[in-house]
Amino acid sequence: MNNVIDVQNVTFTYPGETRPSLRNMSFSVQKGEFLAVIGGNGSGKSTLCKLFNGLIPHYYTGDFEGSVIVNGLQAADSSVADLSSHVGYVYQDFENQLVQARVLEDAAFAPLHFGFPDYEERARQALSLVELDQCEDEFIWQLSGGQKHLLALAGCLSLQPDILVLDEPIAQLDPHHARKMYKILETLNKQHGKTIIVIEHHTEFIADYCSSVLLVDEGKAVWKKPVKEALTAVDELTKRGIYPPQVTQAARELGLGGMLPVTLEEADEYFKALFLEKRAPLENKPNEIEGEPAARFENAEFFYKTINRTVTPVLKDITVTFYKGEKVALVGNNGAGKSTLLRLLTGFRKPAGGSVSVLGQTTAGLTPEQLADKVTYIYQNPEQMFIEDSVRKDVEFFLKARRIKDFESRVDRILEQFHLTDLQHKDSRLMSGGQQRRASLAIGAAMNPAIILLDEPTANLDIATRKQLTGFIDQLKEHTELVMIATHDMQLVSEWATRVIVMHEGGIIYDGSKEELFSNMFLMKKAGLVPPQIVELSHRLGLFPAAYSIDSFINLYREAESWITQKI
Amino acid sequence: MDYAKNMMDKLSIEQAKIELLNTAYANDRTAIARLDPRTLFLWYAFFGIAPWFIHNTIILAGLLAFTVTTTIMTKVSRLILLILILGLLGQGGYLLIASLFFGGDLAVLQPLLLLTVKLAVISLASITVFCSMSPEKLSIGLLSIGVPGQVSFSISYGYRMLPVLLEEYNHVFMCYRLRGKAPEKKGLLYWRMAAYFVKLSVISFYPLLLSTAKRARTTVEALETKGSKNAFTNPAVKKLKLSSLRMGGQDYFFLAISFTFITALFLLGHYY
Repeated sequence: MNNVIDVQNVTFTYPGETRPSLRNMSFSVQKGEFLAVIGGNGSGKSTLCKLFNGLIPHYYTGDFEGSVIVNGLQAADSSVADLSSHVGYVYQDFENQLVQARVLEDAAFAPLHFGFPDYEERARQALSLVELDQCEDEFIWQLSGGQKHLLALAGCLSLQPDILVLDEPIAQLDPHHARKMYKILETLNKQHGKTIIVIEHHTEFIADYCSSVLLVDEGKAVWKKPVKEALTAVDELTKRGIYPPQVTQAARELGLGGMLPVTLEEADEYFKALFLEKRAPLENKPNEIEGEPAARFENAEFFYKTINRTVTPVLKDITVTFYKGEKVALVGNNGAGKSTLLRLLTGFRKPAGGSVSVLGQTTAGLTPEQLADKVTYIYQNPEQMFIEDSVRKDVEFFLKARRIKDFESRVDRILEQFHLTDLQHKDSRLMSGGQQRRASLAIGAAMNPAIILLDEPTANLDIATRKQLTGFIDQLKEHTELVMIATHDMQLVSEWATRVIVMHEGGIIYDGSKEELFSNMFLMKKAGLVPPQIVELSHRLGLFPAAYSIDSFINLYREAESWITQKI
Repeated sequence: MDYAKNMMDKLSIEQAKIELLNTAYANDRTAIARLDPRTLFLWYAFFGIAPWFIHNTIILAGLLAFTVTTTIMTKVSRLILLILILGLLGQGGYLLIASLFFGGDLAVLQPLLLLTVKLAVISLASITVFCSMSPEKLSIGLLSIGVPGQVSFSISYGYRMLPVLLEEYNHVFMCYRLRGKAPEKKGLLYWRMAAYFVKLSVISFYPLLLSTAKRARTTVEALETKGSKNAFTNPAVKKLKLSSLRMGGQDYFFLAISFTFITALFLLGHYY
């Protein structure tokens, strides 16, 4: 048998919980597979992955039943240390997985501590597999998020395991770095024969790189299918809060029949026949809003100091004005300066040069507390928003500090709105990723700000939570004068934004409409952006202007169809 | 007030973090940093203890000059030096005032100065040695002189966690500010503001503990998968780690210079 992982009838309940997180789970993984595990937030995906290297049941001593066999070893009878030479595990919070100060030291840590005399060679080999060989001597604090993630992977590879498990490997990466990550995984899979298991929400990446898909729901394995079959099961996926690739959704929506496409290449073939008539339908461009300014940057600059006391510029000479009523998307690579730009508006950071003003007042003279009355910043990592020990207390904090009357009823309403009423007395840190995101948004909503800043709000979200998020932003529209979102999520940009700012190496290289941005491939490439699949498909099919949402694609399609019928 | 504000900006937690990292890690390319940890331990065994038993002013002055030189060679962070100088002045000044208050006269100045010089030599020697060794080197050095693996590992891991803790603390603190409310009246001499900040800096520790507990969980698991527990019982690992240590020409040279200097100093002190 070629099975490298065999899970049989596993049921697991975390200590202190009453409901099992895994229920009678059974499936197997073959050598050389590239498996994607999908499922809604809180469906048990992460728990499942902790089985493979024995963290469950050795570290989480809950109720465990069933058997897990990894490379012929019974996981329950082998130690975590023994299993780790067979299975490498990259955590979702991979930063806490790095234990040494310099890159090479960290990659060498595992082989050194298992007593391999060639530990340095192993580390170098692992680093070159993930293309980090240039940064051997760097401090891990100075690496970008993507590099840290690759280093965490190298730390596992140095033990030369046959199986790699990655929990949401691209959640915090821009599309360019995300693709790089998957290319590396593909090489490891195809050329080095590693079996790879990823937890992934991005079905477009699954379509391009994975060979099979395991769908998990409420702790159960619903099915395991080859990738094409899995992603075309549109109804089953959407029911559980997962988006199939955009091209699949579009084809399905049009109800044309045949085998639905899952990759861009397939979609190209699929739609080509009907889009032979290439025309340029007219589309309304949104009006440029030029009203009252809400926030203004004037020659703003920002630096930060590194360990070697050298200064690295983060923002260079930024001059831009945001107007009331705008919905601004801030896009660009990791490290382009998006978060810093947002933070300058909160007073959390003050510009090193130039000025930043919010609703007519410069931030230089204001404290963060004063700005908090107008501006709310929602962190990328929701955990950084939690300063109290229950959801309710966290939501109350702002209102209580300002002695707002009847804050209880307001808090009740907000908790209701974000489906947090049942969770209100729980510690936010112990909730699942999607629940944490909702809690962080609820905290922001309670502040009822004039300007709201969201940093990567859709990372790690399933369909349901994502819908809530957009709903939340829409509800705020009456009170909020400016919404700014820093994001890698081009789907969000194309569906939501009225104005897009592209940042690159601390400067603004584009400021305008999303339609224009998505048709400028050169600019997209320079900024490391990848347009939503549906936009890319319209480019391939020669549609101009490109469709930027599934709905507008469908409209274009229907229009083309009617043209053809008219001609006949 | 502007001046004070400027100082506050410079003394931010961010800055403290950079200085700390700098002290811990970034000085590992100087001449002294290239020495074997055992050389430095040996050197420190003399400079850290001997001054207590020396009362000769010339010898002490010589030792001070020597440690000042080595400190300069380690390119230590200015913040650390500032703290050291403030500490020494504070200590000496406080003793002087106390002795004057209880009926002493300026004659106490001389022994007080002697004490301060002794303390300065020892402190500078400590700075030279510990700022030159990266935590990793220090932990291997300790391993080589027979300290158990758990202790030496804790040191290197503790250093690794410090910046993370500081950053987390900074975040929590800012979170309170980004959602909280500062007193509207500043109060006489800003006392209300001061009280507000003191309160924040104390309550910030609470969320810090909760969130670090969670982060630490991942790290502990990761360490287990990376075999750190295995390493404490496996002699091969210790051997591997120690094999990176080697006493070289520069070590003997450094020890020889120090020895010659000390001998010359003692002779000088003895005859004059």
